[in-house]
Amino acid sequence: MNWNQLELNPRIAATARRALKSVREVLCVSGPDLQRLTGLSRSDVQQLLAAAAAACRRHPPVPALLLHGGQCRRFESGLRLSVGCPILDRLLRGGLPVGGVTELAGESGAGKTQLALQLCLSVQYPQQHGGLDSGAVYICTEDSFPIRRLQQLIREQSSLRLDVPPSLINRLQFSDHVYIEHAADLDSLQVCLSQRVPLLLARGLVRLLVVDSVAALFRSEFLTDDWLERNKQLLTLSSTLHHLSQEFTTPVLCINQVTDVFNSLDDSLGPPSSGLSPALGLAWANQVMVRLMMQRLQGTITRGNQSSSLRRLEVVFAPHLARDGQDAAVWREGVRGVDR
Amino acid sequence: MLGYVSWRDVLKKLTLAVTMQRPVSSLPLSPGMKLKLVGAGFQSTADLILLKPLQLSKETGLSQQEALEVLQAVRKDGGGGEGSTSLTALELLQKEEETRSIITFSSQLDAALGGGLPVGKTTEICGAPGVGKTQLCLQLAVDVQVPQCFGGVGGQVIYIDTEGSFLLQRVIDVATAAVRHCSLLVEDDEQRAAMMTFTMETILSNIFLVRCHDYVELLAELHLLPDFLSDHPRTRLLVIDSVAFPFRRFDDLSQRTRLLQGLAQQLVAMATRHQVAVVITNQMTTRLQGNQSQLVPALGEGWGHAPTIRLLLQWAGSRRLASIFKSPGNVDATVQYRITSDGFRDADQSEQPQRKRPRTQTDQSASSQPDRRLLRCLSDV
Repeated sequence: MNWNQLELNPRIAATARRALKSVREVLCVSGPDLQRLTGLSRSDVQQLLAAAAAACRRHPPVPALLLHGGQCRRFESGLRLSVGCPILDRLLRGGLPVGGVTELAGESGAGKTQLALQLCLSVQYPQQHGGLDSGAVYICTEDSFPIRRLQQLIREQSSLRLDVPPSLINRLQFSDHVYIEHAADLDSLQVCLSQRVPLLLARGLVRLLVVDSVAALFRSEFLTDDWLERNKQLLTLSSTLHHLSQEFTTPVLCINQVTDVFNSLDDSLGPPSSGLSPALGLAWANQVMVRLMMQRLQGTITRGNQSSSLRRLEVVFAPHLARDGQDAAVWREGVRGVDR
Repeated sequence: MLGYVSWRDVLKKLTLAVTMQRPVSSLPLSPGMKLKLVGAGFQSTADLILLKPLQLSKETGLSQQEALEVLQAVRKDGGGGEGSTSLTALELLQKEEETRSIITFSSQLDAALGGGLPVGKTTEICGAPGVGKTQLCLQLAVDVQVPQCFGGVGGQVIYIDTEGSFLLQRVIDVATAAVRHCSLLVEDDEQRAAMMTFTMETILSNIFLVRCHDYVELLAELHLLPDFLSDHPRTRLLVIDSVAFPFRRFDDLSQRTRLLQGLAQQLVAMATRHQVAVVITNQMTTRLQGNQSQLVPALGEGWGHAPTIRLLLQWAGSRRLASIFKSPGNVDATVQYRITSDGFRDADQSEQPQRKRPRTQTDQSASSQPDRRLLRCLSDV
């Protein structure tokens, strides 16, 4: 924000510039304090505040009707990133919202990574097929990236996406557009998120960010005494993710692990699904817009020569979704909803 | 002479001065007159301002001419300031009764609030993620527009979204359901005509949306809001969802407290001056006390003094409960609600928790139910 950009009497702007570090700071100081710091009169300070506010505000209030018509490009236009399966998309009313952090929690082996890989491919389709016409960046924090599985999914795309003409599928070079990063600790993750990822986003090369997983970074680094420090780091991370998501209208998918619920305080976060609760507690839960959980159920399902144990994808909370679930299975071609 | 004194007479005498008062001794009058005024019990200009010369001369022993002079001095003095209206308590009561409330579409909650969320006051909604704070905000943004002939306020709304949770898909659900609900209630021509102005499109056009990405943008927006409210006098609701989100990650806590206090003052001023209901949502955080951890509203203890009404939304097993734990006009109460595809509604079971109790009572029983513990620690805050 430039002082020169303010619609303000140059005398007032010059005086304020000498006393304050930035235009943003003008709004963080009260009127009387501004008078004291700058030596300006009350009416001058009022003008300064009005000009600073007008400069710092992104846009004036917009009637929601304009969003409905899709006339406001900077706003959420109802765009969703399809998961690649129409039954699961029905549960999610279209797919992942493009402006906000979606969390996918579950025990190991539930199928979270499977779904995340599937999203890295579905994002590459054009918008009329539920994609965002762009690639994905996948940040691994624990295991190495499952490259073989990704290649298998790519081979089987035509079996999964029956709604897309095969010629289109063959034309897409899927592996070229999945960018894989590794971050073993919080510091390297912050570096990745503040340097490499914004570059990919700004160039339009990616429009999906996956972090697999968030919990791993916080489990190993902090002892229980460092609770406050851990919360601070958690908020910094979620703030960065949120900022990236809003700035580039990009869905962010965070994979999280689960812990057992044995403390009654955890009840306040909602009825737990089968005695499991997503890790990282309330501080993290407050930062997440959509929370999904994936579980492994008893029983298997067979189809031809394949069999899969039954899964369930549940909506824990979301501003636009009901608390509901959908059974699913993991096949060679990917995760598919199962109508029983 | 003690005749029958009704409560209205009492209220009429209770003059509320809303402006700066000057002491009588500072008025430009002769010392003799000032002495008589003070002797009769008149300490400041506010005491004099509504009196007639005859009354004043009787009470103080001044001549009528002198009384007139006193009153002219007082009026000349106090007439310059903006907003220098004194109201009797009776006038204030009448004004409050005229002010309508914004219904929530949950009749239980509306009843507990005395009609709904009051226009002209600030209400805070706190709760854990996913319990329904945004849902209630979206419901209110639609309900504020219900036409007056249906018992609504017929106003517009400005909705400040800091989390990005204002999703049009959901707003359309709630708006369509509200239109359907009202069209089933139509009884006369006036209501039929009103339904022409209460459609999904008009509802969306009356919701003014602002997206704030950090606390500076929020402060900027609030600074410019009075101009917006003056340009849009039909606005009856201001929603900030949520005020906690941009302030959670703050390194300098004393600056945060200062900013929040300034923000709270601005909101209260806007609520009264422009007659809007201000609704703010807050998150929950864990507070450590020794070995125990408690769930409390975020943003610190000082913040709790700012809103007039505080609503806590919480889970009790699989039920959703709304508790009013700070409300000057109502007794603290808890009702059950649910979130349906149509929006914020009453729970369909007739079973309601019997928890109507006065605010001074603190629940000492060591119960394992989270809601009682929450209410107890909140009444300590």
